[in-house]
Amino acid sequence: MERMTAARPFLEVLAVRGLATVQDAGRPGRMHEGVPPGGVLVPELAARANRAVGNADGAALIEVFGGVTVAASTGAITMACEDGSTRTLAAGESLEVKPLRALRVRYIAVAGGLAVPDALGGRGTLLVACLGGHEGRALRRGDRIPLGEFSDTALRDVRAELSLDLSRAVTVLPGHDGERFEADALTTLVGHPFTILSTSDRTGARLDGPPLRRKGDDLGRSSPMVRGAIQVPRSGSPIVLGPDHPTTGGYPVLAVVARADVGQLFARPLGATVRFALPHGP
Amino acid sequence: VNGTSSAWRPFGDGALWASRPHEFESAEGGLALGLALRACPGVIDAVVTEERVCVYFDPEARPRGLERALEKARIEGASEAPRDLVVRVRYDGADLTEVATRAGLSEEEVSRLHASSTYVVRMMGFLPGFAYLGGVDPRLALPRRAVPRLRVEPGSVAIAAGYTAIYPFASAGGWSRIGRAIECELFRNDTGARLRLGDRVHFERVG
Repeated sequence: MERMTAARPFLEVLAVRGLATVQDAGRPGRMHEGVPPGGVLVPELAARANRAVGNADGAALIEVFGGVTVAASTGAITMACEDGSTRTLAAGESLEVKPLRALRVRYIAVAGGLAVPDALGGRGTLLVACLGGHEGRALRRGDRIPLGEFSDTALRDVRAELSLDLSRAVTVLPGHDGERFEADALTTLVGHPFTILSTSDRTGARLDGPPLRRKGDDLGRSSPMVRGAIQVPRSGSPIVLGPDHPTTGGYPVLAVVARADVGQLFARPLGATVRFALPHGP
Repeated sequence: VNGTSSAWRPFGDGALWASRPHEFESAEGGLALGLALRACPGVIDAVVTEERVCVYFDPEARPRGLERALEKARIEGASEAPRDLVVRVRYDGADLTEVATRAGLSEEEVSRLHASSTYVVRMMGFLPGFAYLGGVDPRLALPRRAVPRLRVEPGSVAIAAGYTAIYPFASAGGWSRIGRAIECELFRNDTGARLRLGDRVHFERVG
């Protein structure tokens, strides 16, 4: 005799303001195939949302540059935002997650995680390659995303857990192309505030500030890149590489953001300022 | 200038880089280098470009055995063999006329020259599955376009800076498009990149 099982709940997307994608801890080990490392833009905030509903830190969740309205479809779901707040939605109930002026992205985790298929070792969306996430694309109205298994005893209050301090200077380590810059470039980088430009995205944060003076031309030879590398094109305006950065690049690298500080840089909203500092310097 | 032994230098706190050792200069050597380094404990990934090599790791867990792995690769070479791929190309790219003019050749000569070489994957990067193919006839070694195209269609066969390549995905790009690859899947969502360092590519002209 066939057993009846309760229909598995879905997360339904009712509205998206801005760009929303499914992201997770990334797709490590494929840079040699030209695949960027990926992963959430701000790991600390994504981890807090996931922990609040008992998920692993790197479980798949929604990352949104802006806001999103979601609903529980078929059954009740428990969800959390990057601030650690939790909410249980009954079937048919919806929740609007509004854009925040103080943060570049918001995260919406659901107990059990978003059960999109694993693609090459990750569940996150890489838009340029239509890879991973929900059908390899940005979320839109009407999408229904399946959820993983969860136990409802796992909710945790993580609201008081360490938050990001967005006023603190971002630690940088000197890069490997020092000879391709004027002597004052690094002191300019750590001596002045830079503004995060609106052209910033998951491939990189584009910054405006005093020009970081280079020597010579682009060599036209690409080298391996790393998340957090501060590339400087001829304009002198730096680009800090984000999770979806091209794996190789030809611009010289003046400095690299310490891994632990990459999240707090990318958490800052467009138009915010950022200061850089060397590990033991001013 | 490529060094004789590798001197690893920090690239942030999650990567180390070195000049590409000259005994790994060939594309097959590059394949051996990447495979050996990726097999080291603590190494998440290794990327080899023309002049540099870079290993990636968790800042909390430094990689081990890099030098030993290089020594083994020097002696034994690559543990896997390069592969061959034949790509059928229709030489009707939007920049073909311009390329011919700049090279001082006819369109026919550009197509014939491009299809007559055997190419080798010198580097992977820029886009998932994007292979920088070396072995371009010097007469076709044109620089990048001064103003990049906003959109280069997937499957475009293009040349720039002494390389040729097939775009796996639509992207902005500064390369000159000379043709279109027919039914050529360079990246799959289940198996990843079709090409890797050292593989050989042959273009077969179909128009």
